[in-house]
Amino acid sequence: MDTDLVIRAQHGDKGAYALLAAEIADRFLAVARRILHDLDLAEDATQQALLATWQDLPRLRDPARFEAWSYRLLVHACYAEGRKVRRWAPNLRLLSVEEPATDDDLGSVVDRDQLERGFHRLSIEHRSVVVLHHYLDLPLDRVAEILGIPAGTAHSRLHHAMRGLRAALEADSRPPVREAAQ
Amino acid sequence: MSSDRDVTRIVRSWLRTDEHESADRVLDTVLVLLDTTPQRRPWWPAWRIANMNIYAKLAAAAAAVLVVAVVGLMFFPRNTGVGGPGATPSIKPSASPLPTPTPAPSAAAVFPAAGSLAPGRQSFTENGIAFSMEVPVGWSSSGIDCPQCATNAGWISKGAETTPGAIWMPIWGVKGVASDPCGHVAAPAAASAKELAAAVAGLPGVDVVTPSEDVTVGGRAAKHVVIRVRNDIGCAAEQFYMWWDTPGDFRWASAVGQTNRVWVLDLNGRRFWIEAETYKGSSQALETEIQGMIDSIQFD
Repeated sequence: MDTDLVIRAQHGDKGAYALLAAEIADRFLAVARRILHDLDLAEDATQQALLATWQDLPRLRDPARFEAWSYRLLVHACYAEGRKVRRWAPNLRLLSVEEPATDDDLGSVVDRDQLERGFHRLSIEHRSVVVLHHYLDLPLDRVAEILGIPAGTAHSRLHHAMRGLRAALEADSRPPVREAAQ
Repeated sequence: MSSDRDVTRIVRSWLRTDEHESADRVLDTVLVLLDTTPQRRPWWPAWRIANMNIYAKLAAAAAAVLVVAVVGLMFFPRNTGVGGPGATPSIKPSASPLPTPTPAPSAAAVFPAAGSLAPGRQSFTENGIAFSMEVPVGWSSSGIDCPQCATNAGWISKGAETTPGAIWMPIWGVKGVASDPCGHVAAPAAASAKELAAAVAGLPGVDVVTPSEDVTVGGRAAKHVVIRVRNDIGCAAEQFYMWWDTPGDFRWASAVGQTNRVWVLDLNGRRFWIEAETYKGSSQALETEIQGMIDSIQFD
């Protein structure tokens, strides 16, 4: 990220912010769409986050930390959009992992629908950790910093989210008769 | 059985499924809205001196000198402190040698120029109160960062922001605390140093390390309180507004787990506030260094 652009934008240079926003907008939308799983909501969150970034830029103490700081605004915008439309369960709901599927089962069921179902079952807070860590490749301490949570909480959320996704994959991979029997 | 590694690989692959995601439409809207979206200017300044190169520091130092002059000419006369009238604008030539109130109003705000500080005694003003303090090796000054602020001035610091070896020492007046830090709601201005120290100790979302106690700063009776921002504040650190100097202008936290040591006193109708902020993992040596600086304060 161009720190000079950040500093110029902090001082009210709209041209500099336009360049900065153009640099981050696509990535913002990609992250928001993955967290919210809805393009319309993701566009709204991206717009809100880009405006909030502009508004609050003068308050950013260290321009070198712009990226993490702006992702925090984005995640908060996603939370706000997510609250508007509560389509998903508010809390993580773990599926049973007592009867895990085999490798072969897993290999046969890996597709978007199953993962999306599993992802829907996660809370937005858990989805955010998964996206920031596994999509943006951010280390968990950085994820914790962005989300404003302790590192231990970030670890915990990721663990539970991945456990839920694994359970979703394995549950969906079982033959219907076994699912019905449960 | 699938391993955790399998699931991680599958999830990462799924998240990275290539989809054309262009934010052009959003970007166009945002750029139009910028014209009607004012930036929120900070009361609390950006801490960026440590990251400046030498040329930027020189430029900042030059700008600070200019700002000092501008402050003296334009803003200082409107200076208003809690508990008393504003300082007499001493830039106006006085026709008669009237007695000068104590503390003496300064002709202009005094603050070390931006950049590295030479170790030794440095002079400051805060809220019209002139004082000096011994500054050890390794400290930098922001210069006057907010010339438009009634109680200006800036801060001195050492180390990289929010790291264990860092200290941030704002020289900046405070009038009240937040009653709801995450909700950005201000409590009323404190009527006295004692009341303000008690309010700091009662700030929601913090643990009290040292309750409000009587101490001496620069030979004057003062209150001292130490708090630590909890990990579970319920919002991001920069959304955790702690105290304010003018209504709506809050100073917020830098990081959860930070420790804030506050000294506050009333001096002839004016409020003097100085604080030192350290971060998780800071050492006892920093504590000693801070206390030494506070102990060296002399009011002019």
